[in-house]
Amino acid sequence: MADRSDLKAELERKKQRLAQIREEKKRREEERKKKESEMLQRTENVSEDSDLDRKRRETEALLQSIGISPEPPLVPTPMSPSSQSVSPPSETGSQESIDGGTVGRYRTLQWDTDPSALQLLADSVHGCRMQRLGASKIVQIDFMPKELVTYCKETQTPVASDQPEEEEDEELSVTKSEPVPQQLEEESSQEAEEVHPRELTNEEKEQIVHSEDFLFFFDRSIRVMERVLAEDTDIFFDYSGRDMQDKEGDMQAGSNLSFNRHFYDEHWSKHRVVTSLDWSPQYPELLVASYNTNEDAPHEPDGVVLVWNMKFKKMTPEYIFHCQSSVMSVGFAQFHPNLVIGGTYSGQIALWDNRSHRRTPVQRTPLSATAHTHPVYCVNVVGTQNANNLITVSTDGKMCSWSLDMLSQPQESMELIYNKSKPVAVTCMAFPASDVNNYVVGSEEGTVYTASRHGSKAGIGEMFDGHQGPVTGISCHNAVGPVDFSHLFTTSSFDWTVKLWSTKHNKPLYSFEDNADYVYDVMWSPVHPALFATVDGNGRLDLWNLNNYTEVPSASVTVEGGCALNRVRWASGGREVAVGDSEGRVWIYDVGEQLAVPHTDDWSKFARTLMEIRANRGDGEEEGVLELPA
Amino acid sequence: MLIVLQLYFSFHSNDRQTEEAPVLSDMAEVEDTLKRIQGINGVIGTIVVNAEGIPIKTTLDNSTTVQYAGLLHQLTMKARSTVRDIDPQNDLTFLRIRSKKHEIMVSTDKEYLLIVIQNPAE
Repeated sequence: MADRSDLKAELERKKQRLAQIREEKKRREEERKKKESEMLQRTENVSEDSDLDRKRRETEALLQSIGISPEPPLVPTPMSPSSQSVSPPSETGSQESIDGGTVGRYRTLQWDTDPSALQLLADSVHGCRMQRLGASKIVQIDFMPKELVTYCKETQTPVASDQPEEEEDEELSVTKSEPVPQQLEEESSQEAEEVHPRELTNEEKEQIVHSEDFLFFFDRSIRVMERVLAEDTDIFFDYSGRDMQDKEGDMQAGSNLSFNRHFYDEHWSKHRVVTSLDWSPQYPELLVASYNTNEDAPHEPDGVVLVWNMKFKKMTPEYIFHCQSSVMSVGFAQFHPNLVIGGTYSGQIALWDNRSHRRTPVQRTPLSATAHTHPVYCVNVVGTQNANNLITVSTDGKMCSWSLDMLSQPQESMELIYNKSKPVAVTCMAFPASDVNNYVVGSEEGTVYTASRHGSKAGIGEMFDGHQGPVTGISCHNAVGPVDFSHLFTTSSFDWTVKLWSTKHNKPLYSFEDNADYVYDVMWSPVHPALFATVDGNGRLDLWNLNNYTEVPSASVTVEGGCALNRVRWASGGREVAVGDSEGRVWIYDVGEQLAVPHTDDWSKFARTLMEIRANRGDGEEEGVLELPA
Repeated sequence: MLIVLQLYFSFHSNDRQTEEAPVLSDMAEVEDTLKRIQGINGVIGTIVVNAEGIPIKTTLDNSTTVQYAGLLHQLTMKARSTVRDIDPQNDLTFLRIRSKKHEIMVSTDKEYLLIVIQNPAE
């Protein structure tokens, strides 16, 4: 039964096609006549009668007797309709579409080899004279299976759930009744890209998702969206009737050092040590952290730099930057808000720009003898808005000064050699506040040196001896106030101590010995004259307020997890401390007001404290103290 | 001087050749990011829609996606035309619909929409 109806449908279609063929016949006759006249002209023009031409003419004549005009085939074979083959409805659908399309195409197909088609034409012209059955080509056209529309019930209000069900029913009924025109429509809509929503094929979706435009859009939107999602302030909060939930970050008003938040990214921070931290001078909520290699993931880039945002509660970095070599030191470029500078283990200085959409550095210094060839642990931008330089020092004692516009070669470079004999293996460097010429460096041997960039005494100046292990961190006093303490600096070292120095004496003023492990970093508070922070290998963060006690830290906290803490950085307001640990986590601690905010008399108090310290030290050790020229 | 300039340019071209230059997030990261967003507490679904209202990526079932995509696309078009009518130099960037039960956030630019449906009470 089904076969019969199918056959009937086929016969109908064939009849329609025959009618079309008859129409085409007439048109072709006319054209053929034109062609013949052309052909005659051509034969007259061509002097040589090649074999091929002769054969061609013979075949043309033969075909003309049947009634087919000699035209070259334009369309490949698979499209030729095999009228006598048993084809599934979809193929007849395709044939129909082809019929619906240009007639000319159909005509040229006849030229192609299909004998059954030729026979059909012959029949149409001469009125069913011969019935010759022959083998015909089976054309196979693949259509993607219609996507099954499934609907999973979700808990929604009844109104909402009815509508999608109706939609679905409609779609299903439509597809069942008329498969062929539906597919036709689909084709045309997909080709023409109609407005009303149709599903795209998976390939098209993949293509879109891979396109650059989409990735730009996605990155921007996701950033905004994450910020929005992370803010969970409820604008409709009703204070009258409901219980107030505990707010995040409980106010520990009394405590001096309280945990605020921590930054950690599963993908990029895992198994990496935080090698350096820096706060942005322009946007106080931005913090950049650099990480070294992840041994567990050899295919990931060795150096990672992440920019975190304190303002929003989202837990993902604002920007992610890579580098092929571990980044040992990082900093925001002081006078260029978009640039992040990193010094790497290979000696290259990498420059990232957050305006570019790339994660790799936009500029890198060359790996050559003119630049650094040893790990760069110190990067610093000094100067003013108009005249600034990037100063970098590597562990082979080379100091290079660069211009941020051109990192292909340093503006000047200098070997830091002490006493003309041995170069200094620099591990840390600090510039005193508002000084662009003189700076202090700490070395691997445990000695600290002053150095200057220009002038008669360019290079290493004095030596400060006191530590028994490599110096890990150095910090110059930079709180600005009524009394100037810029000659003071502190150093931390592997010998479990933190020492306080003045540039005027080559022996330490005081030694803080409260730690039970390597002290990895120290930093003065930017606002309080007597406050500095230290971190050690036991996971302890200590805040020392020298106006209170000099023997023990005024506030101390052990970071969760007990990992060694590698870096500490005060935020520019002096109210937060960022600590980086060896597991890739950055912890932000809030410092209580009593401790962080200085009083006006703190400066004079500190001056007195200093005098006491000096007096005590003077009592203790008399020899070896050199009063150095200021 | 001239030599220095040449060095600069050649260095840059080497830079481009040697670096892989990955764009900020590639396909796998897009997937990861969407999964992460979906995992945030309270997020019901995420849909990415192109300029014609056809959903490209979604974490919801098909019918809901099609419904949201179509409706929000029309609404976004209307909102955008509103913003533009008031000030032709202006353009719509973010649309946030707060209802009794959900919050729908649409981040938009010229070509695509990122729709996130959240239940903000949690």
